[in-house]
Amino acid sequence: MKTWKILALLLILALTVPGFLLAQSAAETGETVLKWPTIWVGEDSKAGEVERLVMEFNTLNEGKYQVDIEANPDYDGYRTKINAQVAANAVPDLFVFNPDPTSFSYYEGDRLMDFADELAGDWGKVFVGGAIGDATINGETKSIPYEIGVTPIWYNEALMVKAGVTEYPETIDDFWKVADKLKAAGIVPTSQMTGGTNAWTSMLWFSHIAMSIGGPKVWDKPITDPVFEKAAEILLKMYSDGNTTKDAVGGDAGVSGGHYLAGRTAMFINGPWYIGRVRGEAPDVYENTKIASLPAAGDYPGGQIGFALSNLAAGATDNAAKKGGVLAFMKWMTEPENVKAISMDSGAMFAVKFQTGAGDAVDPLQKKFTDAVNDASFVGTHFATVYPSDVVAEFGQALAKMALGRATPAEFLQQIKSVID
Amino acid sequence: MKKSINRSGSHIAIQAAAKTGKWFYILFFLVITFLPLVWLVISSFKTNFEFETQAFALPKVWMWSNYKNAMSMAGLPRLFMNSIIVAASTTIVNTLVASMGAFAIARETFRFQNLLLNIIVAGVLIPIIALMVPFFKLVNGFGIYDTLFGLIVTYSAINIPISVFLIHGFMGSIPRELEEAAVIDGCSFSQRFSKIVFPLTKPGLVTAGTFVFIFCWNEFIYAMLLTSSEVSRTLQLGIRFFRSQFVVDYTSMLAAIVITMIPTILVYVFLHDRIISGLTSGAVKG
Repeated sequence: MKTWKILALLLILALTVPGFLLAQSAAETGETVLKWPTIWVGEDSKAGEVERLVMEFNTLNEGKYQVDIEANPDYDGYRTKINAQVAANAVPDLFVFNPDPTSFSYYEGDRLMDFADELAGDWGKVFVGGAIGDATINGETKSIPYEIGVTPIWYNEALMVKAGVTEYPETIDDFWKVADKLKAAGIVPTSQMTGGTNAWTSMLWFSHIAMSIGGPKVWDKPITDPVFEKAAEILLKMYSDGNTTKDAVGGDAGVSGGHYLAGRTAMFINGPWYIGRVRGEAPDVYENTKIASLPAAGDYPGGQIGFALSNLAAGATDNAAKKGGVLAFMKWMTEPENVKAISMDSGAMFAVKFQTGAGDAVDPLQKKFTDAVNDASFVGTHFATVYPSDVVAEFGQALAKMALGRATPAEFLQQIKSVID
Repeated sequence: MKKSINRSGSHIAIQAAAKTGKWFYILFFLVITFLPLVWLVISSFKTNFEFETQAFALPKVWMWSNYKNAMSMAGLPRLFMNSIIVAASTTIVNTLVASMGAFAIARETFRFQNLLLNIIVAGVLIPIIALMVPFFKLVNGFGIYDTLFGLIVTYSAINIPISVFLIHGFMGSIPRELEEAAVIDGCSFSQRFSKIVFPLTKPGLVTAGTFVFIFCWNEFIYAMLLTSSEVSRTLQLGIRFFRSQFVVDYTSMLAAIVITMIPTILVYVFLHDRIISGLTSGAVKG
């Protein structure tokens, strides 16, 4: 009998203690509460301003609407969670997603709120040209274009000068000559990586090369097209003869970024969100960093990669108060002054137009990003925005195999194609 | 005579080579096992710049502030408490439920007994990520989303196959005569479980409980899926607060990982004998 009593007591405690804690956490406010699971928390450069704007929105709408941030700092985990919630038809009130082919499947059915009618009015005018069109499928705009990414080539001018290079190369042949000079001076020409979920840095090199050969519409071609084979050959050369670091195969973003920060590599690719890190941790590298497009590898020189990075979306609802709250919040977050505040603070770039004046402290490197896009002969997108996540994951695996000499460029592309098929 | 000396000489040489080989083998795996752990601890004292640029060097200045940062930024004390509640409660609920199930299968005789055991144990082979949507729907439907209770119920259910497998092995090894004597003395079905079999299965319960505890302590995917607020956040979610979509504060994250490893290491250090004996028993009797 004694054992039973102990077992029963343990069971009751195990099930009721957490329940008591839950009771403490529940709170009725009487307002329309919107839950917003977001990745813009913790270490994210936008976290501070986003939190401030949400608090300001809640103050302005006190007694009416309240937005509760649910912090999800891990992007891959967040994406998995949103996928599961959408599949279970329990879409969050508000959420953020990466607009790629996999995520655009959320548009199917009637799970997301459609903003097409509201965006047709004055609200739509705050967005940069083409942004709303990119978020519209079959006349439905079920997400709001928000953060955009630009990923030009970064190069360390001081290292170039040290190697006797006075001008950034204009063509890919000049690029190899520069690479040879850099190597002779003991500097590794490029940062690369095959690790992570998308081999980010190398995937961007590949995308730049492919667009330089095939133009902005290159992604309409099949992946086994000779354009991509040529691009793969150039990428393979970047992995050969000491043109990148030995740990690039299997390395992640910390490896490729770390070598650039340490001044060991002369060229690198990433977006403006990395500016803060370079400025804070490697001020010399920051001072010497210049922004450029890829040296021409084909008939389409001077292009840049620009893409929608994050869209805002909301679960469809019949609740008028909730719908009103979602619209009010979306409009608040896309007000040019609010977007400007986030951009100025974080260095991030947005699909919302805003003006900067003489009094605004725009980071010089961030300005170079804006100039790079403005000066580009065309702006195209990258591999990971074109293909679903399983294909993107295969890119790094196939690249590692090619870099280790176990696959030719044609076989590299064939491996990716097998996943596409 | 000469031949015998030569033979014994070569025998000694072979023995020495074998001994050297054995030690080389042991040291090799010791290094393979410990090096990542040592690297982790050393890296947790570096600056992010040092971590990214000199991954295998010692830190110039030992950054104790990483640990301070880990404790304050992720709110580790609160998350520690949540993880302890979830892990301890799940361990209790799971081992109780699994031991009852294992008792029926191991000690009773009924049709399709082995089939039932195989079906339950086959659950070990199902990747938990495949069950995310149904678990989310269930937890949401029961109104226990974003609660520690929801996590406890889910973790208890997920771990039933492995616990039944381990406890069943132990229960199967208890002599039937003990139960028969208890029946003669007037024990009912439930008393046979609570007074005879359950107390004798303690090593198996500890083994299963240890596995469940460590699983709960390290689990991330379901903790992220089934919770949203700080009130129900566990340690593994807190560790992720040092990373964002493009930037990671590696060294504070490593400091947080070192802190969170301590309880699981302690659990294993104190209970490793029982874990190993439980595993062995499960393997033989299963």
